[in-house]
Amino acid sequence: MAHLKGQGKTFIFPVFIMGSFCITILAGLLGTLLPSLNYLPVIGHTQISLKPWLDFFSYPGIKTSIRVTLFSGLATSFGVVSLAFLFISFFYGNALWKFFEKILSPVLSIPHAAFAIGFGFLIAPSGWLVRMVSPGMTGFVYPPDWVFLNDPEGVSLAIGLVIKEFPFLIMVAMGALGQLEIEKTILAGKALGYQKEQVWLKILIPRLYPHLRLSIFAIIAYSLSVVDMAIILGPSSPPTLAVLILKWFNDPDVNFKLMAAAGSLFLFSMVGLSILFVFFMERAVCFFLRFRITNGKRRSFPARFKSIVFFMVAGIIFFTGAASVVLVIWSVTWRWQFPDVFPIVWTLKLWAKGLASSFDPVMTTVITGMASAFIGLVLTIGCLEHDADSKKNQTLNYNTYIHYFLYLPLLIPQITFMAGIQLSLVILGMDGYWITLVWSHLLFVLPYMFISLSATYRAYDTRFTDQAMLLKRSYPSVLFRVKLPMLLKPVLFSFAIGFCVSVAQYIPTMLVGAGRFSTITTQVVNLASGSDRRAIAVYALIQQSLAMIIYAVAVISPKILYYNKKGMQV
Amino acid sequence: MPLELENISILKQESSLFDPLTLVIGPGEVATVMGPSGCGKSTLLSAVSGSLDKVFTLKGSIRLDGQDMLSLPMEERNIGILFQDDLLFPHMDIGKNLAFAIPPQKSRVKKNQIINTALKTAGLEGFANRDPSSLSGGQKARISLLRSLLAKPRALLLDEPFSSLDQTLKKKIRSFVFSQIKKMNIPALLVTHDPKDCPEGGVVINLNKEDNLYA
Repeated sequence: MAHLKGQGKTFIFPVFIMGSFCITILAGLLGTLLPSLNYLPVIGHTQISLKPWLDFFSYPGIKTSIRVTLFSGLATSFGVVSLAFLFISFFYGNALWKFFEKILSPVLSIPHAAFAIGFGFLIAPSGWLVRMVSPGMTGFVYPPDWVFLNDPEGVSLAIGLVIKEFPFLIMVAMGALGQLEIEKTILAGKALGYQKEQVWLKILIPRLYPHLRLSIFAIIAYSLSVVDMAIILGPSSPPTLAVLILKWFNDPDVNFKLMAAAGSLFLFSMVGLSILFVFFMERAVCFFLRFRITNGKRRSFPARFKSIVFFMVAGIIFFTGAASVVLVIWSVTWRWQFPDVFPIVWTLKLWAKGLASSFDPVMTTVITGMASAFIGLVLTIGCLEHDADSKKNQTLNYNTYIHYFLYLPLLIPQITFMAGIQLSLVILGMDGYWITLVWSHLLFVLPYMFISLSATYRAYDTRFTDQAMLLKRSYPSVLFRVKLPMLLKPVLFSFAIGFCVSVAQYIPTMLVGAGRFSTITTQVVNLASGSDRRAIAVYALIQQSLAMIIYAVAVISPKILYYNKKGMQV
Repeated sequence: MPLELENISILKQESSLFDPLTLVIGPGEVATVMGPSGCGKSTLLSAVSGSLDKVFTLKGSIRLDGQDMLSLPMEERNIGILFQDDLLFPHMDIGKNLAFAIPPQKSRVKKNQIINTALKTAGLEGFANRDPSSLSGGQKARISLLRSLLAKPRALLLDEPFSSLDQTLKKKIRSFVFSQIKKMNIPALLVTHDPKDCPEGGVVINLNKEDNLYA
């Protein structure tokens, strides 16, 4: 069949995305590599040498910093992945799973920074958890001098990261689980005398893993190189590597940029080696466990194991909820003494002040979020239309490898190539433009939008578009009047995800924005080190509610629009 | 304006799905192609409508009103299809579903007139604001046919359009469909596996390999 007029040209979308992603990331890496070799003509360094690397390795405390980074990053990844697999094996389809499914989207929409601040307010020595049991159970009249929050080993950072990344992996798994015939497999396994958990571990998890591999790699990269959460929850002297690098980039002494470049490449190699390590681990596990899968043993885990997983997941849900609640309380507090469970004087003054002073950053955040989510939507739909076209015409599908390109920005530490992009932009005299800021957000917005929309978009019943084409004979009107309105719910949802991802961006705004753009997120992170919890809480809640509002609009508006169309309410 | 199929065969990897088929359908006539599922009936329809999958090769010629169809893309052939499922757009009410098919009109009033007249012929007056999912199977089938006809096709293809309806409904809808085709005076090609679907006195062809039976 001939290409529909217009649809045949949609191949430019995947080609554009792959090309521009490649160029941007290469420019970013090159922009980091050259300064790390002491080459940065803008500040007068033209002599190639390894001095930045030597400076980096001899920086005081660098070994501790690397160790803490590795620990918190790898502990997080290991924790998230093993907890996710155990949770799926024990609880798939039951009440806890269904509850988690319900709260998943709002939980994912919470920006990392806002969550980290609320989490810190909970677990700090003077935090809500200690207040709840003091002085009654602990006898504390003054906050204890524990160093649990911002502990030097990065344990609190790792726990915070696990709580935030776990729902993400479960979301990816939920999409993949739909493609496996779970009920049938479990039934077949049970008929052979295996218990449900054994069927999961021996049959289903090995089949699920390939679907999660790239996301697991992305979690590893993220946990090793996270900046905003590490500033809020991580150790401070020395901080994790990514935080240290950002500090060097922003140092008034421009010579620090060279060392920062070397450091960020070192961080990149840490991520690369970790991913490689996991890749080989996967092979090794496959090799050594292949006999265990068929060893015929049918015993199950002790029930105790199941309750541990239950409490951990319940803990994740509790901490996520409580982190938001404690933010709300702090934001309306005037006086709240230790160890009172609640404030003694309440006020809305800080909201009035916070809303007034955050107006400009909020506008920047909203406009940037809207722009990048909108461009992201156009590109995503363009790609998926090309998908539909090439499937129908049996022609070359440019989307075959697009996953790898879309995942690239998620697998390289943000700070490594964002810093390089900023330096390249400085050289080109293009730094600090709003449009480059939008593009830098798009690098992270687009992958998540694509992941969220592609499954439902590809499952669309094309007989509707075929019929519409026969009736109307115009591709644009079929696309805009039939297909997209029918897909309104997933399309808006994907837009909301894109917006939320943009809102949460810290590093791209700091580096590519060249300090000229202040968003609510940069405000939150910069305030986090301050001492007025009330003001911080207001800012964190403003950040969180921006994401929540868009998410709510995306969920509710199709319901209102199609309230009298039963066929659209499935 | 007759629909002429001449020596049509469809090949998949060098082997043809059925023996060459020749058929002339006059305006207002309904010809039936019969055969068990998988014999290539629906593939034949997609060849005529222009949506043939690229894995197939088509030989022979198809002409509508003397004009060669094979050189035209799907959207320029102006041939409608009625499928087994009604495929009413779930996000539009009945009136909008019909309006979608109507070629551009000078005024909204004129468009509404066309919709109301169409609804009247189907005995569904006042249904314009109804939600498709609130209609019965038979009502949806009638709306679906009206929608196909409002696009003013020069020929209509019917792909097992009655097989999801129960026996009593089937009879009613069948005669409604055939009478509308006669009224529009366009050629129609029906494919089905159920001999009871065929109109009385129409041409019926059994689509078999090796032995084509002409009835």
